[in-house]
Amino acid sequence: MDQTPALNPTTPPAAAHATAWHRHAALGWTLLLVALALPLAAPGTFTLFLATQAGAMMLVAIGLNVLTGYAGLVSLGHGALVALGSYTTALLMVDAHWSFWSAALAGMAVASVSGLVMALPALRLSSWYFALVTLTFSQVVTDLAVEWRGLTHGFSGVVGIPPPSIAGRPLTPAEVYVTVALCVVLAFIVVRRLVASRFGRSMVAARDNPLAASASGISLWRIKLFAFFVSALLAGLAGAFFAVQKTVITPEDFGTDFSIFFLLMIVVGGLGRLWGPVVGTLIFFLLPELLGPLQSWRVLVYGVALLTLMLYAPHGVAGMTLWRRWRAAAPPRDAPAARDLDPPRAALALHIDAIAKQFDGVVALECCSLVAQPGATHALVGPNGSGKTTTLNVVSGFIAADSGRVRLGDHDLAGRPAHAIARLGVGRTFQTPKLLGEMSVLDNVRLGGAAAERATALEVALGLPRSARDARDGTAAALQLLRFVGLDARADDAAGALPHGQQRLVEIARALASRPSLLLLDEPAAGLSMDELDRLGTLIESIAARGTTVLIVEHHLELIARISRSVTVLDRGRVLAAGTPDEVFRHPDVERAYMGREGGRPTMKRRSS
Amino acid sequence: MVLDLVVSGLTAGSLYGLVAVGFNILYRPTKVFNFAQGDLVMLGAMGAALLMARAHWHWTFALLAACAAVGALAWIEERVAVTTVLARSSSGTAWIITTLAVSMIIANLVGKLLGAEPIIVPAPWPLSTDALPIAGASVSSYQLALIALALVLVVAIERMYRSLWGKAALAVAEDRDAALLRGIDPAAISRWSWALGGAFAALTGYMAAPVLSASTTLGGALLLKGFAAAAIGGLGSNRGALIAGWIIGLTEASAALLLSPGYQNAVMLLVVLTVLLVRPGGIVSSLEARTV
Repeated sequence: MDQTPALNPTTPPAAAHATAWHRHAALGWTLLLVALALPLAAPGTFTLFLATQAGAMMLVAIGLNVLTGYAGLVSLGHGALVALGSYTTALLMVDAHWSFWSAALAGMAVASVSGLVMALPALRLSSWYFALVTLTFSQVVTDLAVEWRGLTHGFSGVVGIPPPSIAGRPLTPAEVYVTVALCVVLAFIVVRRLVASRFGRSMVAARDNPLAASASGISLWRIKLFAFFVSALLAGLAGAFFAVQKTVITPEDFGTDFSIFFLLMIVVGGLGRLWGPVVGTLIFFLLPELLGPLQSWRVLVYGVALLTLMLYAPHGVAGMTLWRRWRAAAPPRDAPAARDLDPPRAALALHIDAIAKQFDGVVALECCSLVAQPGATHALVGPNGSGKTTTLNVVSGFIAADSGRVRLGDHDLAGRPAHAIARLGVGRTFQTPKLLGEMSVLDNVRLGGAAAERATALEVALGLPRSARDARDGTAAALQLLRFVGLDARADDAAGALPHGQQRLVEIARALASRPSLLLLDEPAAGLSMDELDRLGTLIESIAARGTTVLIVEHHLELIARISRSVTVLDRGRVLAAGTPDEVFRHPDVERAYMGREGGRPTMKRRSS
Repeated sequence: MVLDLVVSGLTAGSLYGLVAVGFNILYRPTKVFNFAQGDLVMLGAMGAALLMARAHWHWTFALLAACAAVGALAWIEERVAVTTVLARSSSGTAWIITTLAVSMIIANLVGKLLGAEPIIVPAPWPLSTDALPIAGASVSSYQLALIALALVLVVAIERMYRSLWGKAALAVAEDRDAALLRGIDPAAISRWSWALGGAFAALTGYMAAPVLSASTTLGGALLLKGFAAAAIGGLGSNRGALIAGWIIGLTEASAALLLSPGYQNAVMLLVVLTVLLVRPGGIVSSLEARTV
C-alpha cells in the first residue's frame, strides 16, 4: 500500500500521503506518454498502421466494457455499430465529400441512434434478449451492407477513403495515430470519471443487484440505456477511424466474428475493470504474432479462450490479484466534519387504504389499511404469511396492488414503479440485506444518495465543478451516515466482508442516504445479537426523532414495544387489530392469532410471503 | 404459387418452432438460454447425415445415435459451461459468454473435421423431397410430413409436461427452493432437461437435413430464427413457439419473394422488435411476465 511515513516531521500524515499519491499519478502519466510515443519511433509504417488499428479497437473495447463489464449487458453486435460508424463516415467522405470530422460525428450519431432503436425493446427484458437481438442486428447490418448496393456499394465495399485533413492539409499516418491515441486517452479518462460517479455505481447495482438499484431510486432501464449510448458513441467513433485507417472497407470486415472479437478482448482484459479493455486489446495485437501457424484455427482458439477464462479467471488479466499492490491508494480524505444528520426532505404521513393483492388466486393481502404519522415508528406484525412483506412491497412499488390506495403526504404512490417511489422519498431495507458485496461500504451508501446528486453525465465526463461538489458532498453525507450507524471505520472495506449484523446497518444507512420521508424496514432485527438489537432500537428511535416516518415489519415484540408509537396486526391478509403497542398486545384476538394461545389451536399459517 | 409459398414458409417455420421448443426445454429449469442450441441442431443433422451417407446406416439407427450423442453433449455442456458459472453467481450473465464459447468450439471443430461442403440428405422412405403432382405447385410429401410431425411433437412435449417428471420440471422453473423442499432435485431436473433438449435438437436437425441440407452454417442461422420464434411466441410456451415459427417462416418466404432473400434477417428483426415493444412477454403469455 501507499502508507509512506511523513517525510517532513511538520507535514501531517494526510498531506504526505497526498504528495506521495500525486507523485504516483505523475509517474503513471509519464510512463503512459512514453508508451504511446513508442509506435512513432518504430521503423517503417507497418507498426504505425497496427498501432492506429489497435487504438481504434481499444476505443470499441473501452465502450463495450462500460456496457458489458459495468452494466452487465452482453452485446454480440458491437461490430455492427463499428460498421455503421465506418460506413457512414466513409460514404459521406467519398460520395458526399464531407470532411472527416463532420463525417465522424455523423457516424457516431448513426451508430448510437440506430443502436438505440435496436436496443430499446430488448433492454426491458432479460439480459439474453439483448444479447440475441444484438447478434441478429449484427447479421442484419452485414446483410444490408451487401444488399443495399445503391447506398453501400455492395460486396466490393467503399474504396479510396481519404485521410482526415485539417485546413486542407491531409494528416500523415503519424498524425492520424496521434489523433487516435488522444481519443483513446480522452475516452479512458471520461470512462474513469463516469464509473467513479453515481453513473458507475448505478450500472454495477443494475448488474449485480437490480432490486437494490430500484430501491435506491435508479431506473434500471435508463441506466442501461445510458451505458449502451456511451458504448455506441465510442464504437461509432472507432468506426470512423477504422475507415480512414484502412482506406477500403467491405462488408466482410464486419462479420459476426468481428463482434465476438471485442467481447473476447474485454473478457481477456477483465470485465468491469478500468484497465481491462486496454490490457485486452494489447494482448490481442501481440497474440496473432504468436499464433502465426494457428491462424486458421483462430475462431476455435477464441472459443476455447472465452470458455476457459470465464470458468477460471472471470476477472481477466486486469483482475488478477498480483496487480493489487500497484493499485494507487485512494487520495486521502479528511475526517467528516461533525455535524448533525440531515433531517428528511419533508415530514409526511403514510396512508394505506384497503390494499389487496392475490398471487395466482392465492390471497396474500385481503384488505390492509393503516396510517403512520411522521416522526414516529409504526410497526406491522403478524404470523408468517399474513401479508406484512407484501404490504412493504406494495408501498415501495416492487409489487402492484390489485386494489386500494397508498399515499405519502399528497403523493399517490399506487401504480408507480419502485425507482420513482424511492425518488419521492421512500427508503427501504430487505429481509436479507441487498448490498453490493464487491463495492466499498462507502460506495454502497453513496448508491442510496444517487438520486440526490445533480451533476449530469456530461458534467461528470468533463470533470466540471458540480461533479466535484457532488462527490465531495456525497462522500461527506455518506460518512456522516456511517458514523451515525457506527461503521465509519469500515467505510473503505468491501461490503460483502462485513458480518451480517453490520450489513443490515449499512443497508439502513443506504436507505437513509436519500433523506427519505418514509423508511421501510423489513425484519431488521432478524439474526442480530442482544447487543446489536439494543443499538438497532436506539438507532430507529433517533431516525424517527428526526422527523422520518418509519414503518417496520418485525417479529421481535420487545423491540416493537420499545420503539413504536402504533402497531397494526395482520392475520391472513386482514387487519386484526391496531392501536398502541399496549392496546394491541392485550387484544384477545391478537393473543389468539399471533401468540397461538387459547384452545391449543395455533392459527399461525406457515406460508412464505 | 401461393401454395408453394405457404408450404415452404410453414416447413421452415415448423423447424424454427422446433428449435424454439428446444430452447424452452433447457430454459425452464435453469433460466439459461443456450447459445449453442443452433449448433446442437447442426450436429444432429450432420451426425445423422454422415452415418447414413458414409456408414450406410438405416435412418432409424442414425437418428437414434445422433439423438443420444447430442443429448450427451448437451449434458456435458450443462455440467461444464453452465452449472459452474451459475454456482458462482445465479444472477450473472457469464453463461451467455460460456454457452457462446461452446457454440464457437462446436461449429469450428465440426467445420475443421468435416469441411464446409453441405451433405445432401434424402428423405426417409416412403417420403420424398420431389414435387408432388399438384396443379403447378412444387410441394413435396416430405414438407407436408414435416409440418404434421412438428405439430405432433409440440403436442407430445406439452403432454410430457403433464407427467410427474414434467410437473417436477415446471415446479423447479417456478421456484427452485420450494421444489427442493418437496423432494425434487433441481440439479437432476436441469441435467435431464439439458439431455432431453439436446436430443430434441438432434431430432430437429435430422428433420431439417432433407430440406436445408446438413452443413456447418446451419447452426448460426437456426440460433437466430429459433430465438426469434421463442421471443415472439413467449418464452416457455411451446404452442407459442410453433405459431411464432410459422409466422416467421411465412413472413420470410413472402419477404424473399417481394424483396430479396438478403432482406430476410432484417424483416425478421423488425418483427421481433415490434412484438417485444408491443407485447414484451410474446404473443402467448409466458414465464417472463411473472418474474417481475
